[in-house]
Amino acid sequence: MTKKAREKELEKLAERFVTFARKSGADEVEITISDDREFSLDVRLGKIESLVEAGSRALALKVIKGKKTAFAASSDFSQETLKRLIKNAIARAELANEDVCAGLPLAFSENTNGAALDLFDPEIREIEPDKKIALALETERIALEDKRITNSHGASLVTNEILTVLANSRGFVGSYEQTFCSLSLGLQAGKTDNKAEDYWFSTERFFEKLEPPESVARKAVERTVRLLNPRKIKTQAVPVIFEPQMTAWLLGFLSACVSGMAVYQKATFLAGRLGTRIGNKKMTVIDNGLIPGRLGTRPFDTEGVACRKTTVLDKGILRHYLCNTYAGRKLKLPSTGNADGAGVGPNNFYLVPGSLSPQEIIASTERGLILTRTIGHGLNPATGDISRGAFGLWVEKGEVAYPVAEVTVSGNLENILRNIEAVGNDPDFRTAVCGPTIKVAELVVAGE
Amino acid sequence: MTAFGDHIKLAATDLMKILEAALSRGGDFAEIYAEHRQFSFVNMEEDIIKETAETISLGLGVRVVCEDITGYGYTNDLSLDKIRRAALTAAAIASGKGTQGVPRFARVRIKGDPYPVKEPFHETNLSQKIALVKKAYLACQKSSQKIKKVKAGLQDHVREVLIVNSAGFIARDIRPQVRLICAAIAEKGKRREIGFCGGGGRVGLEYFRDVLTPERIGKEAAEDALTLLEAVEAPAGEMPVVLAPGHSGVLVHEAVGHLLEADFNRKKTSIFWNKLGKKVGSEIVSIADDPTIPCFRGSYAVDDEGTVPRRTLLITKGRVVSFLQDRLSAKLMGRPLTGHGRRQDYTCIPIPRMSNTYIERGEDDPSDIIRSVSKGIYAEKFEGGQVEDSGKFTFSISSGRLIEAGRVTAPIKQATLIGTNVDILQKIVMVGSDLSFGLQTGTCSKEGQEVPVTDGCPTIKISRMTVGGKR
Repeated sequence: MTKKAREKELEKLAERFVTFARKSGADEVEITISDDREFSLDVRLGKIESLVEAGSRALALKVIKGKKTAFAASSDFSQETLKRLIKNAIARAELANEDVCAGLPLAFSENTNGAALDLFDPEIREIEPDKKIALALETERIALEDKRITNSHGASLVTNEILTVLANSRGFVGSYEQTFCSLSLGLQAGKTDNKAEDYWFSTERFFEKLEPPESVARKAVERTVRLLNPRKIKTQAVPVIFEPQMTAWLLGFLSACVSGMAVYQKATFLAGRLGTRIGNKKMTVIDNGLIPGRLGTRPFDTEGVACRKTTVLDKGILRHYLCNTYAGRKLKLPSTGNADGAGVGPNNFYLVPGSLSPQEIIASTERGLILTRTIGHGLNPATGDISRGAFGLWVEKGEVAYPVAEVTVSGNLENILRNIEAVGNDPDFRTAVCGPTIKVAELVVAGE
Repeated sequence: MTAFGDHIKLAATDLMKILEAALSRGGDFAEIYAEHRQFSFVNMEEDIIKETAETISLGLGVRVVCEDITGYGYTNDLSLDKIRRAALTAAAIASGKGTQGVPRFARVRIKGDPYPVKEPFHETNLSQKIALVKKAYLACQKSSQKIKKVKAGLQDHVREVLIVNSAGFIARDIRPQVRLICAAIAEKGKRREIGFCGGGGRVGLEYFRDVLTPERIGKEAAEDALTLLEAVEAPAGEMPVVLAPGHSGVLVHEAVGHLLEADFNRKKTSIFWNKLGKKVGSEIVSIADDPTIPCFRGSYAVDDEGTVPRRTLLITKGRVVSFLQDRLSAKLMGRPLTGHGRRQDYTCIPIPRMSNTYIERGEDDPSDIIRSVSKGIYAEKFEGGQVEDSGKFTFSISSGRLIEAGRVTAPIKQATLIGTNVDILQKIVMVGSDLSFGLQTGTCSKEGQEVPVTDGCPTIKISRMTVGGKR
């Protein structure tokens, strides 16, 4: 079936069930269908380890009756199951309580097919498995040529094609196709009882844009061997430089703290802080769902509301929360096109880069820690407190001196945002939530 | 409603044909895993039942193994044509002559009953579920005026699985699972803290009458948040750490359990790969994983490869004695199956996983353990943790207290513990006699696959550990 025919067929199916739900007694109904194709390949030590290829579909629905909401979903597409689920949902809605904020949005995206957003690579489906296998094997082979690498977690190549269809009882019908692909490699260096490990990955929407095997391999090797023979350090408060992936991690936490859902639930320390300063002037953070080709781009959110550009932090002042329709109604704010399932999620959420190169930032640091990776949990949105296990590189006199392990970093998100000393010029768009290198004036690093 | 056990309708002759298609290009082993899951959810917040949900998941995966290579295809269209296509996709990793003849299926004999449920949740009507959620919510809310927000939710599902393989085994399992959780936000001045409690497992409605009432779940969530309001900053640096019984099992899970999963050892990425039979920890440490404990969240009658599981000793008196095996690793390592091949759902390849993991009880009196510490941390609850194959791990204390002069004193704020597993195993200097298990709400993530687990341990003293606080 051609792409267009498949989209049309599923749009029709969604519309049919919208009609069925209305006839069965729902005041409002929203139907989402996703149709995914997955190819996933793992190679390790020069051989294929596993190969997965599959297609799957799911239908999710929301019904509202008398301002009462019920959800349902199914991967079983039999008419009988779907009709039963719809009827059950309408019956269940009766048992919920009335909620004045419940209900579908009133205005929808005009872009109903993802046009001009560069979301879909038609080539991905045509790529022969042998080419993908060769790419993954090549990536790992190059890395293993380096004698400092003593073991491999393997290389992976994954491609996904996802068709999203949305129809609702307010007459919105839209669908768009998107693709993702990634090439990754995880390595170990050192002997069994003194191992260092790290990885590198490239993720894109278009296969041709993936970093070549040499680049993924070289970065994975570099990142792994630089952690060999780490030292412990004394507990102290020092400047901490976040590599771009670490900035992304910090921004991920910020995105959770500015979620309208968390705000109305008072589950975030940023509730009630709109219009106030939460960071210094170097901090401008934007959510933009419409940047062509980016990983977090989509024409409309999961409610059909148009994605847009939202300034979350403007030179340190908290300007907007990210909202879906429900959180928006709770907070008397408009939806920002950030509905994600039943909750709120970022689109492309990024820190606007500065002008310094990462080398300049390191050179400006007398003593401090470059944070390269964190592990564990330890994020508390209610307080903004952060506490994580960390790996990094120690800086002395503006230069990397030695790797550091078995330390933790602790701080508070607002304190960090208020004490950013430098913002780099090296944004890293391999994730939808992203940023450049940043330097924080001081964090507690706990060691010996 | 259709009775459970009836959702996967595939005749033995069809199963045979699918396996033959899977082995049509050679391959040592083929397997069909079919699954039907019915999930239900009730959510209460802002004093109202806000939403309910019902989800049906139906699908089937075909796996082909050829030496150490795995091919996998899955579909949620259970027509023979689509299943056959998934089988041929999985078969593509092999490139030899087809294997002939799949033996007649013999039913896997299941021992005991890990799900002794009297009133199954999938037969419980929605009003009864709503009543449970309301009880937890209200008990939490009325605990204190400082409780400003409450969320309570009930999630239950029943999963029917059918596993058939080319070795001639057929296994069916119908696994119930339920979880009632409550989260509370307490405020005092500008301070705001979140508390949490929950319970459940492979149990029925009777559990919330006889074992853990929704009221207690609600109250404990409130108490958790209220305690945190009074918490002081945790100290930073190296110091003795006492792990409270129960929840601290997450340390065992993260620091030790993962690296005893056979795949990491077969691939020699785990620090334990060359340590089978060797002493890695202190004499007083023994660790086991037991998927057969009735009612526990991590339990199952057969694993997701159709293997009947058994309690597996991993570390005995500080010595590594076994790894957790799935079929592939057991075959490649020449070790016996332990029944730990698990998968998130039909879209995933099974891998070695933990079930209910714990440190066995020791001989020390828990109060002696606390008395032995002049200055340190008493770690009570955890948000979770993470481990690297190199053995470096962290775990986050969500509530704990200071130990000063042999007494447990002020509550501390969030802190992270970090260490290297072998180092910590050697620094376990006291093990209490009070083994207990953490909340029946845990989920473990590995390679993107989530499975339910339970962890446990008695009171334990670690002589020194790095604590990441702010002081």
